[in-house]
Amino acid sequence: LGPSSLFSKVTANAAELEREQQGRVALRERYLRSLLAMVGRPVSFTMYEKVSVTALFGASDIDVLNFQVSELQTPLGVQKEAVLRCSDIVAYSFEL
Amino acid sequence: MTAWQKKTPLEWLTYVNKEVGVLAAEKHKYQGWVLTVDPVSANILLAHPLENGKMSISAVLGHAVQDVEILTEADDEMKEKLAHLFMPEEMRRCSQ
Repeated sequence: LGPSSLFSKVTANAAELEREQQGRVALRERYLRSLLAMVGRPVSFTMYEKVSVTALFGASDIDVLNFQVSELQTPLGVQKEAVLRCSDIVAYSFEL
Repeated sequence: MTAWQKKTPLEWLTYVNKEVGVLAAEKHKYQGWVLTVDPVSANILLAHPLENGKMSISAVLGHAVQDVEILTEADDEMKEKLAHLFMPEEMRRCSQ
């Protein structure tokens, strides 16, 4: 799992902290909604070492450390179900 | 942790609705409008309008982000478009 406390520079000032928390909420909500929109769609993953794979996105854990995917197209064939470690991924993309 | 991962939510918020160029690990380059930055993983979510009217969504993972350069700021029409991309139908109707 990820760190249990999140990085913050403004803990001394209550008003600043409130503003930072509101910013965090807005950013996080949009990101979580993007994950929802991605469910069931074909997603291309660019991995390290110039590896590119596509798969149907299934789910992510809350810390965004792993993605569960289906029908993973690899150079060695199609993997029915798989978990991708996000630390191995450089970028991913899909169409809306 | 990279400099990008260490930024605070308020710093990430300044990138939202801006067109940026992102330099990622292994010299990968991405360009698009910033939809959000996940405050947990620092993943940066970009939208790139396609000619067929669809939207291409890319995410560069926080650990792979090396540099983010702001190119332009979105006009009101683009901001509206970006804000509604992942909103569920019923919320879209409420906000109109």
